[in-house]
Amino acid sequence: MKVKINYEDRDFPPGAKFTEVVKVVRESKKKEPMIQTLVEKTGSDHIIFVLNGRIVKAPEYDSLELKEGDDIRWIHPFFGG
Amino acid sequence: MKGVWGKVLKVDLSKGTCTAETLPDKVYEYFLGGAGLAAYYMWKECPAGTTAFNPANRITFAGGPMTGLKQSGAAKWTAGAISPSINMNADTAATASFGIEMKETGYDAIVVYGRSPKPVYIVVDDGKAKIKDAKKFWGQDAYVTEDGIKKAEGADFEVVTIGQAGERLVRYANVQTRKKSFLGRSGLGAVMGSKLLKGIAVRGSQACGLHDSKEADRLNKEVNKRLAELDALKPEWLQIKRVGTAMATELFAPQGNLPIKNYQLADFPSGVKNFHASNYAKELNAKPWPCKYCVIQCHNLCEVKGGPYAYKGKGPEYESFAMVGFNTMVDDIKAVAYACELANLYSMDTISLGVVIAWAMECYEKGVITQKDTYGLDLKWGNAEAVVELTKKIGERADGLGYLLGEGCKIASEVLGKGSETWAVQMKGQEIAAHNWRAQYISALNYCTGVASGPNHERGNSQHIWVGHIRLPEWGIGEVENEERWSWDQAADRNAKFHDYCNIINSACHCKFHEFRGYTLTDMVNTINAATGWGWSIDDLRKCGERITTLQKILNIRYGWKAEHDFQYPKRFMEPVDSGPAAGKIPVGLDDAIRDYYRVREWDVKGKPTPKLIKRLGMEEYVE
Repeated sequence: MKVKINYEDRDFPPGAKFTEVVKVVRESKKKEPMIQTLVEKTGSDHIIFVLNGRIVKAPEYDSLELKEGDDIRWIHPFFGG
Repeated sequence: MKGVWGKVLKVDLSKGTCTAETLPDKVYEYFLGGAGLAAYYMWKECPAGTTAFNPANRITFAGGPMTGLKQSGAAKWTAGAISPSINMNADTAATASFGIEMKETGYDAIVVYGRSPKPVYIVVDDGKAKIKDAKKFWGQDAYVTEDGIKKAEGADFEVVTIGQAGERLVRYANVQTRKKSFLGRSGLGAVMGSKLLKGIAVRGSQACGLHDSKEADRLNKEVNKRLAELDALKPEWLQIKRVGTAMATELFAPQGNLPIKNYQLADFPSGVKNFHASNYAKELNAKPWPCKYCVIQCHNLCEVKGGPYAYKGKGPEYESFAMVGFNTMVDDIKAVAYACELANLYSMDTISLGVVIAWAMECYEKGVITQKDTYGLDLKWGNAEAVVELTKKIGERADGLGYLLGEGCKIASEVLGKGSETWAVQMKGQEIAAHNWRAQYISALNYCTGVASGPNHERGNSQHIWVGHIRLPEWGIGEVENEERWSWDQAADRNAKFHDYCNIINSACHCKFHEFRGYTLTDMVNTINAATGWGWSIDDLRKCGERITTLQKILNIRYGWKAEHDFQYPKRFMEPVDSGPAAGKIPVGLDDAIRDYYRVREWDVKGKPTPKLIKRLGMEEYVE
C-alpha cells in the first residue's frame, strides 16, 4: 500500500499501523545533531506527525491503521526566523 | 473574479488626486497580489531611469487573495517600490491588521506616486479616499504619528506611518503599523518620506466575495487547529507563542548561524546566554502580541521596568537582536531591546542599523574613525550606551557620522575609504541579514542572486532548509542530510524554488512562519483555490512563483542590474572563523553556484531571462 510521507511515496504492507511510519522517520533523523540535542535535554525528539491535515498524538500510533493514499507529514521541532 | 476586487486605488500626490483603477483578471492570475502586484505596477509605470526618490517612483501597498481569510497567517500584506538602498525594485512585508482593513475598503492595493508640495497623509474610508494635511505630524516619531492620525480620523482605522528617519531619507528607513509590525527592509520609509507622505489610514467594511466560502471556512478551521496544536506540543522554550523568534538563539548557536562582531567571530557566550529564549522572556517580560487571526502569535509585547532602558513596546525579533546585539557584541538584552525600539520610533530597519553600527565599530577599532568623529562616544565593541546613542544620531540624521551611517555602509565606506569597504557586509547597497553563510552555503547564494529585494534572507529563506528544517516536498525539496549545508549540489535548484516560494507567499499574502508549524504548499494552493476558484495545481503554484520572479528580474535589469553585481559579494564571505560548528567553512565555489543558478532559472549567462523561459511562462508582453 502506498502512502506519502512528506510528499514522497512509501510502501507499507496492508494493515500497517501508524507506528511503522513513526519508526521510519525517527530512524532516519536519529543522528541529526539538533535532534540528538533535544533527546539529550528532554528525553524526546519532539517530532510531530500529521495525518491528512490532523495531528496524530502518541497514544494513537499503535492503533491507527494506514490507508492507501494517506498524506503524512512530519514536522521538525525546530524553527528559525 | 473572486478572492480579489480587481481594483486598486491610485493616489497622485503631485496632483492631489485619488482614482480607482480596475485590472484585468490575468494580472492576478499571473502575479496574485502583494509583491507581484507591486512589481507589476513598477513594470507598468516606472520606466528605466526612475530612481527611489523620483516622484515617478510608485510605492504600492497590496494584499492578495489570501488577505482577510480567517486563516492564521492571512494578516500578511506587502509593499513594493524602487528602493533607495539597492536602487532597484524591492518589496517588503508586514502584518498586524492594515492589509486586512485595506482590503475591506474595496481595494486590492493603494498605489502612491508623485510628490506632495507639503506633508500629507492619505485616508481611505470604505472606498472614499482623501489626502490630508500632515504638517502637525511632520518631525514626530512613527508611533506618535499613528496615535495622532487615529485621534484625528477614528480609533478603528488601521494606520501605517514613518518617523523622522523616513522623513530625512535614511536609506534603510522602514514603515510601521500598530507599533509592532514593519515593512522592514529596503528603505520604503524613505520613499514615503521623499513624497512627503507621513502615513496612510484605512477603514473598511466590505467583504470580498470568495469562490467557495464553505471550503475556505473548513480549511481555515483545520489549519488553525493544527498549527495551534503543533505549537502547543513543543517544549515551552520552543513554542513560538511563548517566546517568538527569540528561540532562534539556542537553535542557531550550535549551527554557527549567528552574526558576531560584524561577522568576524563564531562564539559569544554571554550573548548566547543573555539572548536565550528563557532569559528574553524573563528580562523583557515578554507576552504574546498576536496579529489578526493568528494562532502562532510570534510577536512579543515587552516591558523593561526601570533603569536607563525602560520601555514598553515591541520586543525585538531574532534579526533585530542578532544585528544590534550579537553583531555589535552588546550582550545587554535590555539595552538592545531599547535600541531596537528607538529604531522603530525613528522608523529604521534594525538589520541594516545593526550592520552599519558594527561596521562603524570596526572602523573605530581600526582607527579609521576616532572619538572626534563619534560625538565623543567610545564606539568599542559591546558598548551598549554607544549603540543607543548612535541609533539616535542616525535616526535624527545628525551632522557627521550619524548622517553618513544613514546612507548605509556601502556609501559610508565609499566616502570614508581607508579600506573600510572591505568590512562593509553588504551587497548592492543593502546590508546582509543575520543568517551566516558559513553555516549553510546556500545563504551566500541567496544573498547574491535574490531578485525580489536585493540580498534579503526573507526573499529566499533557503537557509531554513537547515536552520528551520523547512521542506517543500511538493516541489521536490524533501529530506536533506546535515552535511549538504556545505555542498553546492542541488543548491541552485533549491535556491530557485525558495525564491519562487517566497514570492508566492508574499503575493498571495500569507505569513512564512506558518511553514515552521507545518503549513504546506498543499494547504496554500487549496486555500487560494477556495478563494479564487482558479483550480490550480501544485505545479501552477510554482509557475506563478516563476512568473513573479521573472518579472522582478526584468525590473532588476531595467533599473540597472548587471550580472557582475551578483559576484560583488562582501570580502567577509570568504573569511573563515576558526572555531565553532562552521569553523573553516567558506563558500568556495560560489561563483560557479551563481552561474548554475542562472542555468537552473533558464536565464542566459548574463542573467537575462531567455526567450524559451518567457514563452514557457507566457510573458512575452512583459519583455523589454
